Amino acid sequence: MDDAPPPLLEVRQVSKRFPGVLALSEVSLTLGEGEVLAVIGENGAGKSTLMKILAGVQLPDSGTTLIDGRPVVLDSVKTALQSGIALIHQELNLAENLPVGANIYLGREPNRFGIIDRRQINADAQRVLQQIGLEIEATDALSDLSIGQRQLVEIAKAMSVNARVLIMDEPTSSLSAGEAEKLFEVVKDLRSKGVSIIYISHRLGEVSELADRVAVLRDGKNAGDLERKEIRHDNMVRLMVGRDISQFYARTSHPIGDVVLEVDRLRTPTWPAHPLSFSLRAGEIVGVAGLVGAGRTEMLRTIFGIDQPVSGHVKMDGTEIELDSPRSAIAAGIALVPEDRKLHGLVIDMTVRNNVSLAGLFKNRLRAGFLNRSVEKEDTQQMIRDLRIKTPNESQIVRFLSGGNQQKVVLGKWLAMKPRILLLDEPTRGIDVGAKQEIYQLMESLAEQGMAVLFVSSEMEEVIGMSDRAIVMHEGKITGELQRSELSEESIMQRATGNLNADESTVTT
Amino acid sequence: MNAKSIGIFGLLVALFLFMAFMTADPWYAVSDSTFLLSNNIENLLRRISMYGLLGIGVAFVIITGGIDLSVGSVVCLAGCLLGIFLQVDYNAADSFDVYRVNAADKTIILRGDASERFSRGDPIRLFQVRDPAVLTVQSAELVQLADETGKPTELGTLLSVEGELQRDDQSGTVARAFRISDYSPGSKLGENTDESGDTLEISQIPFQLHPRDRLILVHPTSKGLLEAHVAVATKEGDQTTAITTQPLNDTFATDWLAIPMKRQQRMPIPLAILSVLAITGCLGAVHGLLVTRARLQPFVVTLCGLLIYRGVSRWLVNDNPVGFGIEYQNTLSPLGSGKLPLIQWAGENGPQSFGIPYPFFVFIVVAVIAAIFLNLTIWGRYLLALGSNEEAARYSGIRTERITVLAYVIGTVAAGVGGMLFALDSGSISPSSFGNFFELYAIAAAVLGGCSLRGGEGSIFGVSAGTAVMMLLNNLILLLKIADRLEFTIIGLVILLGVFMDETVRRIAARRRAMKS
Repeated sequence: MDDAPPPLLEVRQVSKRFPGVLALSEVSLTLGEGEVLAVIGENGAGKSTLMKILAGVQLPDSGTTLIDGRPVVLDSVKTALQSGIALIHQELNLAENLPVGANIYLGREPNRFGIIDRRQINADAQRVLQQIGLEIEATDALSDLSIGQRQLVEIAKAMSVNARVLIMDEPTSSLSAGEAEKLFEVVKDLRSKGVSIIYISHRLGEVSELADRVAVLRDGKNAGDLERKEIRHDNMVRLMVGRDISQFYARTSHPIGDVVLEVDRLRTPTWPAHPLSFSLRAGEIVGVAGLVGAGRTEMLRTIFGIDQPVSGHVKMDGTEIELDSPRSAIAAGIALVPEDRKLHGLVIDMTVRNNVSLAGLFKNRLRAGFLNRSVEKEDTQQMIRDLRIKTPNESQIVRFLSGGNQQKVVLGKWLAMKPRILLLDEPTRGIDVGAKQEIYQLMESLAEQGMAVLFVSSEMEEVIGMSDRAIVMHEGKITGELQRSELSEESIMQRATGNLNADESTVTT
Repeated sequence: MNAKSIGIFGLLVALFLFMAFMTADPWYAVSDSTFLLSNNIENLLRRISMYGLLGIGVAFVIITGGIDLSVGSVVCLAGCLLGIFLQVDYNAADSFDVYRVNAADKTIILRGDASERFSRGDPIRLFQVRDPAVLTVQSAELVQLADETGKPTELGTLLSVEGELQRDDQSGTVARAFRISDYSPGSKLGENTDESGDTLEISQIPFQLHPRDRLILVHPTSKGLLEAHVAVATKEGDQTTAITTQPLNDTFATDWLAIPMKRQQRMPIPLAILSVLAITGCLGAVHGLLVTRARLQPFVVTLCGLLIYRGVSRWLVNDNPVGFGIEYQNTLSPLGSGKLPLIQWAGENGPQSFGIPYPFFVFIVVAVIAAIFLNLTIWGRYLLALGSNEEAARYSGIRTERITVLAYVIGTVAAGVGGMLFALDSGSISPSSFGNFFELYAIAAAVLGGCSLRGGEGSIFGVSAGTAVMMLLNNLILLLKIADRLEFTIIGLVILLGVFMDETVRRIAARRRAMKS
């Protein structure tokens, strides 16, 4: 099966130079029919450029692309689609105001004299939806669908043009575990129907589960391929980073101090029926696991004063703190690194310095509101050193930094305030392996210095690897607290899906 | 100073040189259409200053990512309010508002019940009308006044008179009537003094006479009527000595009557200015709260403001022009229309001078404060941050709502300051047209000066330069005798070009930067 010549898709020695940077250097790739090829690599390794070339968004400077052994020039998205290659973007490109069927046929609606033939759209769309096993109606409003379902609608859209190659760019980045599971089933099903898939992901667990073969890119070059039996976490990381990472999750044991934060029957506006109680000790790293939409982000937002609680208290060192605004939380020594750094964490068009200093400005009332630029500069330079932020200088606009460095700027903003409690919401989302590890090391060293760290993560490995203790949430409720020794994918998953009550499960089965 | 500001400043300099060159007339030293004529430069500076204030105000709102369309109407309201607060009335004691004059019937209707005050044979005079005949009362009776629909409103007094009533007056309260016999004659006309007018001695004055009060001098039997402002007044016993501000007519004799009219200014100048600032500030606060708390769109909120304040202005003054007349010519009016003379020379048509218009000083002070606020204080930083990403600012503990409200307050207060200056400069304003389209000038200047309507960007220097470019263009159209019908078209095209260039430069810079990193 593996050696069926010629391969469905072949890329030979493709190079792409952007002024100042060689994004791809003689990269080659083959993809067989019905094969799932995972393409992995750190951010900036050239994955997106390669995919854009395949999808007809960009033209390569040199090299050839062959389909069924015949060279093709993919000079537009349309040609790529005609050649059977469809790219599913990381950011979903769907119109929320239209029904599912209209989205699937957007831009190529069957029509008669410009009048859209709705009946045919719905019939065709329904067939495609059935084909990928998505149990929704073509007439459903897109806005009623979950993110996971929308992702599947994107796939349906690609399938509706009879795509032979589906390129999926980080498809699970905003999916819950359950939704991701559903997506994997669809991917496997498509594979069995002969559709080939190029799967890009940072999540090595998924890659191990799905991929028939892994192609690793590093610095715009082929770093090596892994066959099915070689696909293991350590192998992938080694090829991606170019060195061994023996201790990925940098945990050491250090003493854990007294309780600093007590959350007492806190009820968030999103899940007012479920009071949340837990505590956090100095020097402790506590993970919050759960599916997307389990109310974890809302919990952090409420503690931080962004959402106002329905009832309940938060105490620091035994004294109650106000939950009326982020200002109060910050003044009490709480910091929040939000999930979406571009939306909530950064003023992306400001400089590194202005971002790092932003949260602490209100403390300089002594200067009658006038900025203290030299202090700002010193603090920022220290953060750049401490966090190893890769930036030419502190006046660089944050937009031009890589994802990992942007995340470090957000961290720097809070660490400059010397908080006692650090709340992290998906701290390693969308950043590459190297930066991930740096953030894990940072969390560890902050805990060692006595900071209490509470982090929300949808990556099971991360929760298991980093937590001293984990809180598991399901539909707004805390469904379990697990000590480090009790942490396993199974124990977390059971609680995260709400299946923790043995009695109930016997009744239902 | 960022690249954008340098760009707009370059454009300004180029335009200045272009105009100086284009309009320089090699054959005459001074021609009417020479750009560098001192008058022209002064006017230009004055206009740049006043429009610049509006531009700076609206820039703060634009930096939050909002917009203020109410600027022109706030300008109008501020002008009208200043006029109302500083309105001056002159009232003689024991005089009555005239409700209506009917020349054919020889009747005068007064407001209020004055039937007891007038009796047959009383000589009366109207004043504040150009009909200064002495009239004799025939009868006085109480009447019921009514509005157009016939609904009774108030009581009035119908006077039938004898004498020359030349003019109908249906307008209402422009005139007042008084009984001549209530006043005493000006006992003596003194000599002329050098500084001011004549000296006058009057007895039995019903109130203390102050400088800037008015004297009406009437002849009890003939048409003679003079008005004079009091410059100095001193009182000894029953006798008041008043020095008028201008020489009185020679025909004046001791048997004339001096009717002192008390000057009543509604508010002292500082209080009036502060009130206007407070009211315009409140409007901004309401805009800000509607945007932040009620989550209405800034465009809609301020569009409604534009309509509401225009209507309120017209209603407040009954659509009549609001003027400052000569009342404030030596006090407040120069702030709008005056200048600080720097150079003086003898020109062909009399002495010439060049000076800095006073509004320019106001503008510079406001601009410097605004620039310091925006660039050197934490609130300025907050403003830029929340304009660029409000959520991130909120997550950083910034009280974004307060800062946003503050920006809207700055916007309307700046419009208030501008509005007062505009009103003082023009002396008389008409509430239906004053300030029309000013918001567009202000927004255009801000955009031309580098403010992004997406928010988070803007510099005071840029906005000032943007305003100057707009005003220069306006001047160019005038001086080059281009049809002023095309004014808006030309300004529109230039702004479009400016913004297009800016966007292009930005894109190129961003690409270059992205490649570098």
